[in-house]
Amino acid sequence: MKQIATFIVNEKHYELAIEPHMLLVEVLRDELGLTGTKHSCGIGNCGACTVLVDRKPVLSCLTLALTVQGKNIRTIEGLAQGTNLHPIQKAFVEHGAIQCGYCTPSMVLSAKALLDKNLNPTEQEVKHALSGNLCRCTGYIKIIDAVLAAAEAMSKEAHP
Amino acid sequence: MARLLRPFEYREPQTVGEAVRMLSEYGAQARVLAGGTDLIVSMKKRQISPRYIVYIKDIPDLNYVHYSQETDLTIGALATHRSIADSSIIMDRYNLLATACSKVGTPQVRNMGTIGGNICKAGPSQDTPPVLLVLDARLKLVSLGGERVVPINTFFLAPFKTVLQQGELLTEIRIPPPPPTSAGCYKWATKIVTIDETLVGVAVLMSVDCADGVCTDIKIALGSVAPTPMRARQAEEVLRGKRIDDRLIKQAAQVAAGETRPRSRADYRRRMSRLLVSEAIAETWQKIK
Repeated sequence: MKQIATFIVNEKHYELAIEPHMLLVEVLRDELGLTGTKHSCGIGNCGACTVLVDRKPVLSCLTLALTVQGKNIRTIEGLAQGTNLHPIQKAFVEHGAIQCGYCTPSMVLSAKALLDKNLNPTEQEVKHALSGNLCRCTGYIKIIDAVLAAAEAMSKEAHP
Repeated sequence: MARLLRPFEYREPQTVGEAVRMLSEYGAQARVLAGGTDLIVSMKKRQISPRYIVYIKDIPDLNYVHYSQETDLTIGALATHRSIADSSIIMDRYNLLATACSKVGTPQVRNMGTIGGNICKAGPSQDTPPVLLVLDARLKLVSLGGERVVPINTFFLAPFKTVLQQGELLTEIRIPPPPPTSAGCYKWATKIVTIDETLVGVAVLMSVDCADGVCTDIKIALGSVAPTPMRARQAEEVLRGKRIDDRLIKQAAQVAAGETRPRSRADYRRRMSRLLVSEAIAETWQKIK
């Protein structure tokens, strides 16, 4: 039995008819065409389905869509402004932190949640913030470098 | 379109009263949903297919950490692991609980999962139960028939089985004030798998008379070494009322290891229990000094 629900994704409002058993990842990908969010392990280990809900990283594959009606959801598609990449995205590109790219949206969002609170993280804090995001390609080193570089760039922008 | 979950009836009670009414009416056909980090996984795996999902996270006044100097620390069942791990009062006065909550899952899981859900799942390898055992936590359970407060050491019956009745909802965790000159810690070893499931977890809460170095009280609990989280009461007796020294700590650790009843990797678990109990007591003693 479908019901109408309002979703706020990347600051846009969507009124959708969805069924209670639909997961947030299904609504984002199948109803809204936002395929940057991935469904991978499905059981809460890999983090590839990470989105920000009210600025906090959560797993969209374990979230019933109806439970986040009216909350502010940010997906990877909501980071760049047109063709202007977010500093974190820029840093990932510049530091070779992307190989197959599958973990990248979730890594960037977890990094964003960290840097939005702490613009001067230690390497340990970066690792901790990304500890729920698995990458099978890169070995993490360039990802960590990219996040630290983004922190520096964002810091400079905040305090020129 | 094939979906990951089977369909169900969705209910969003706005009060505890509404929720327990629904749970009583639907009985075994209903499951409580809060964070979803456990329930949704079970549903995806088709281990369970509830007819009704009773979503309780929107019920106000179940997500809090309240401290008062004289009375118990009270934690609402919907407090997330993240909020407990970040709580300055818990970091300050019940540090081992902050440690355990910051170990659960991943950052995302900690943002979603609740302490109530963790307790009610009653998995033998979970991190919060041993800590709650040494803290002498009491659990408030509400049903249509009223409410009862259950000490945590009677709550766990078997793996994934508790005294929670159908139609009952855990709403609050109560923790008495820590004794003066006491400290605690939580230490663990993990299985080498993606999610760092605990292989052996050890929680210690100890109070010491600093004048003569006598252990006035000690509580030791272990997780993932028995069907349920357990207190190592014989090990506690080794130290209680005695002057602490390294030899006694070693002895207590040995006794604790002997009290464990591990099902798998038993020899390794017993050895790690001995090591971690020894380290946990030593570390706690250092904290008090």
